[in-house]
Amino acid sequence: MLKSFRHTAALMSLALAMSPGAVAGTERCATDDTGQEVCLEQPASRIAALSPGATELVWAAGAGDQVIAVVSYSDYPEQAKQVTSVGSHTRMDLERLMALKPDLVIGWVTGNPPEQITALKDLGLPVFSIEPRSFEGVSSTIERLSILAGTEDEGFAEADRFRKGMAALEKQYQGAEPVSVFYQVWDEPLMTVNDEHLIGKVITLCGGVNVFGDLDRLVPRISAEAVIGANPEAILAGGMGEENRHWLTRWEAFQSIDATAKENLYFVPPSLIQRPTPRILKGSQLFCEKLDDARAKR
Amino acid sequence: MSRPLTMPLVLLALASLAAMMLSVGVGSVSVALGDVVAVILGEGSNLQQTLVLELRLPRTLSAFATGGLLAVAGALMQVLLRNPLADPYVLGLSGGAAVGALFAMLAGLGGLMISGSAFAGALLATLMVFGLAHGTGSWTPSRLLLTGVVVAAGWGAVITLMLAISPAQRLPGMLYWLMGDVSYARTPWPALAFLVLVCLLVVPLGRSLNVLARGPMQAAALGVAVRPLEWTIYILASLLTATAVTMAGSIGFVGLVVPHMLRLVLGNDQRLILPACALAGGTLLVLADTLARVVIAPEQLPVGVITALLGVPTFLYLLYRSR
Amino acid sequence: MNPLQARQLVIDIPGRGDGEALNFAVEPGQIWGVLGPNGAGKTTLLHTLAGLRAPRHGSVCLGEHPLADLKRRTISQQLGMVFQERQDGFPATVLETALIGRHPWLSPWQMESGADERLARGALEQLDVGHLSDRLVNTLSGGERQRVAIATVLTQAPDTWLLDEPTNHLDLHHQVSVLQLLTEQARSGRSVFMCLHDLNLAARWCDHLLLLYPNGEACWGPAERMLVPAALERLYDQELLTVDVDGAPLFVPVRY
Repeated sequence: MLKSFRHTAALMSLALAMSPGAVAGTERCATDDTGQEVCLEQPASRIAALSPGATELVWAAGAGDQVIAVVSYSDYPEQAKQVTSVGSHTRMDLERLMALKPDLVIGWVTGNPPEQITALKDLGLPVFSIEPRSFEGVSSTIERLSILAGTEDEGFAEADRFRKGMAALEKQYQGAEPVSVFYQVWDEPLMTVNDEHLIGKVITLCGGVNVFGDLDRLVPRISAEAVIGANPEAILAGGMGEENRHWLTRWEAFQSIDATAKENLYFVPPSLIQRPTPRILKGSQLFCEKLDDARAKR
Repeated sequence: MSRPLTMPLVLLALASLAAMMLSVGVGSVSVALGDVVAVILGEGSNLQQTLVLELRLPRTLSAFATGGLLAVAGALMQVLLRNPLADPYVLGLSGGAAVGALFAMLAGLGGLMISGSAFAGALLATLMVFGLAHGTGSWTPSRLLLTGVVVAAGWGAVITLMLAISPAQRLPGMLYWLMGDVSYARTPWPALAFLVLVCLLVVPLGRSLNVLARGPMQAAALGVAVRPLEWTIYILASLLTATAVTMAGSIGFVGLVVPHMLRLVLGNDQRLILPACALAGGTLLVLADTLARVVIAPEQLPVGVITALLGVPTFLYLLYRSR
Repeated sequence: MNPLQARQLVIDIPGRGDGEALNFAVEPGQIWGVLGPNGAGKTTLLHTLAGLRAPRHGSVCLGEHPLADLKRRTISQQLGMVFQERQDGFPATVLETALIGRHPWLSPWQMESGADERLARGALEQLDVGHLSDRLVNTLSGGERQRVAIATVLTQAPDTWLLDEPTNHLDLHHQVSVLQLLTEQARSGRSVFMCLHDLNLAARWCDHLLLLYPNGEACWGPAERMLVPAALERLYDQELLTVDVDGAPLFVPVRY
């Protein structure tokens, strides 16, 4: 009995020592996406998530119960809607935030105003700023959040599930015939993504070729003419809401576009693909299915 | 003068104090007046201390400084241009500051650089308008006004361009700056010091300003050195406005409506009007900012929205009454 | 007192060639009238003498000091100007308007005192507008406004008065009382230099005259020498009938 106990203990300490970011003693540290290292003595029990994406990722890390503040539009998962909001992610109510006494603040690198983040740091709060730019980034973010929140079991498991899911998809579509794709982010102004964007990477993973992939800007604003000129074989769009396929009707008028002629106009619910969270696995699956549909129509 | 100058100023000072106490006591989390006093005396809970001393007090003081700076600048502009419709931005100054600030934001620079860039933009706008208006010989208020209005429109176009080409994630920050927002301001002391300095400076200049307001020829005939005085007013008003805009973006209506309201009540002696503008403008903006923080909490409104919503009907009412 | 002097003064009228050089001094006790048709440059001359416009050639002096060398404050203690046109920017009361006449005498840090106010009120009384002290100037009639302007210069109490058509808008009674006031100023050792478009007022009240011709010519001197019908007819391009009233000439335009 004693021997197996010692055995287990040894294995456990080995596992702890191997998990990324763990340091000697009970201090738990992780490096955020701005390169800053954040260390906590106790697992964070009062977490403030300052963007809808951060909220999802904290829940994915298994730390949903520890979240005490979110911002507006934090609508996933359902439980997040019950949490106190501290305003818009572009202009937060710092007083309300301070009154909730958070012990860890999860910020969004490009989403929160730098002045307010600096103010929070000046007030002594640990601020962990994230912004996943790749699929591995999503997994790594979930893992790092779970370290800080003390929910490594759930977090690492979820990260793994996501990793494996994306890997499987990648393998599945490795040799797929390329399909030229236009992905519409927004209607007015007309916006799309380039290959660097996470959605662009989804396109590539599914065997698509983003017709605007080599533009410089992450989220370029283009004209309808450019789309007609690029003549994509498939057009995928989000919408104003989760059900709104309205944006696609604009393209039905242009019969010269292959996608229109072949009726390859597809709607993908934006929340599944526009947030860098585990839901992007589901979104990618949907995306790849649509492209398969386009291939089948050739 | 038989009219006592000090009484209105004392009243306004009391009003300012009351507004500041209100602002420091009100917010998403209420802190009772007694607790506010306790915090100032060094006691109170940690949360209360944080709220009052680190969040609310700097913001209240910044709002006061900004409002005071803008109101005094507006009053000076109205004397310079001899036009009660002038405000601190009429000569394109806020446009230049905005271009400077937005440019810094586009380039990805941080807090201090944005302020510095805004200030530089404001000064550039000032020099440009002055130089252009001066270029063809002696300038008159109407030439200055016309030049300023046109240059301001030019800045507006540049701002629109910058908004159009900026990456999507920078837009909210740029828009908030343009709408005017006191939550940016970190340290109010330099601005407050400047405001006090200008109010002191105004005392010896005040009567000359009164005479200048009657017309430049008349003023010259009564011994006022008109051109140097006009230069001085222009530079002072520009510095005041540049400081305010750098701190809190372009907040409208304070600089137009406050001097006008005070003139209706207190007459036209600049020695009284200018310090009164500092106090009244500060009070007004502190109250507006309190509203902006609280009215749809936790959503935060930019204070420029409140001043516009309050300022437009007030101004129309004043205009109607003065007919 | 430093008399106002024009030395080889050529006034600058844009678009017109050089006029005759003016050389005269306005000595204490003198009342000068400037006569000429519209456009001859009377207002320009007055503004040049006040130091508000630069001359084309020559200089204006107060005593031995050219105006250009003096500070505006010093000038305004010796020269007072009543303008023809009013520029009213911001509303002010009649009393406030008269009080700014004290500006040249107060240092920047001084506030107006009771004594200053008494001076202003006294001046307003003398011009028969004392009862309007608390009215806003822009609510006054033309004549009342004119009298307030004169009261302002009276408060300023300069040694030399420059006036541009001071009798404009004034009714007969007030015309006489204003000219009477100016005569008393001259009698107490000050000097008066005014533009008048009414030839007869000038003839009756001025002891020196300056005739400004539209082509730039000018002549000046004691009134008796200047009141030559031929010269006046040429000045106004109008035939005149001369009548003698009370020992002084009266000029009446001929009616055809």
